[in-house]
Amino acid sequence: MATGLDSWLKQATRKLAKDSVTQVRTEITEHYESALDAAIANGATSQHAHKSALDALGDAKTANCQYQRVLLTSAEARMLREGNWEASALCSRPWLKWLLPVPPALALALFLTGQLAVARDVFVCCIGMGPLLLAPFLPIRTRARGRVFRLVKWLALTTALALLFGPQALKWSWLLISCLWPLAWTEWRRASIRRKLPLASWPKHLYF
Amino acid sequence: MNFKGTLPTLILEALLHEPSHGYRIAQSIKERSHGVLDFKEGTLYPALHKLENEGMVESYESVENGRSRRHYRITRSGRGMLTKDRAEWRALSRAVTTILGEA
Repeated sequence: MATGLDSWLKQATRKLAKDSVTQVRTEITEHYESALDAAIANGATSQHAHKSALDALGDAKTANCQYQRVLLTSAEARMLREGNWEASALCSRPWLKWLLPVPPALALALFLTGQLAVARDVFVCCIGMGPLLLAPFLPIRTRARGRVFRLVKWLALTTALALLFGPQALKWSWLLISCLWPLAWTEWRRASIRRKLPLASWPKHLYF
Repeated sequence: MNFKGTLPTLILEALLHEPSHGYRIAQSIKERSHGVLDFKEGTLYPALHKLENEGMVESYESVENGRSRRHYRITRSGRGMLTKDRAEWRALSRAVTTILGEA
């Protein structure tokens, strides 16, 4: 009958991260053993005790859906491990952060030399990319600051795209959607992780 | 009986007087409702994890009858939430009773 519990656990832990699987396996096994002990103490046969303990757990698919809402999935755990690309790209190459002021300076230089169209495009790129590249250096360590940063990030991106495409934005919507899709997906995944992890264990990139 | 959405409140109530482990929490809810709230126990732990993520309960390992068990205890925020939920439930229950009582 332990195979019954094994297959229940296999189904209930589908798509969950390794740590989450271990946690679920431990707590459900403990629960199952307690139910088994109680049933045997009440005079049930071993076979009946196993059956009633398993029935009491309910549908494994339903449990899996609920676990996926509160525990990290394997995809989310991977994102948590590897999702710090902004900081790792910039902080591991200290010379890169000195290049950050170059694009705005270039835009200013182009503006001063009268190349207005190019200056405008470079400036728009600075607005769009600025929040993404500056994020690792900003003191964002609270939930409220994180919210403000995310709002500013999306406002900057939308403004940059509106300035870049202007009235043509609708015509190029396919390009805009395909460019913004990975960002929106990452944003959605991070929001899901934020819901599941207590604030104390948030890595810095989760605030962005 | 379908009591969707009230499980977290019932868990907090079960933990109000003493810390407990998952199995005991489930049995306490079933016994105190005289078997009316007969929910599937596999759904108890996701609710407990959610409460833990929200800081309403905290967990710790403890040995009971020679077995290591994860116990849960209600936090200060959890008590506050329970008081609020209780008041909301009483208001809702009064309103529904008033309407059904009129029929």
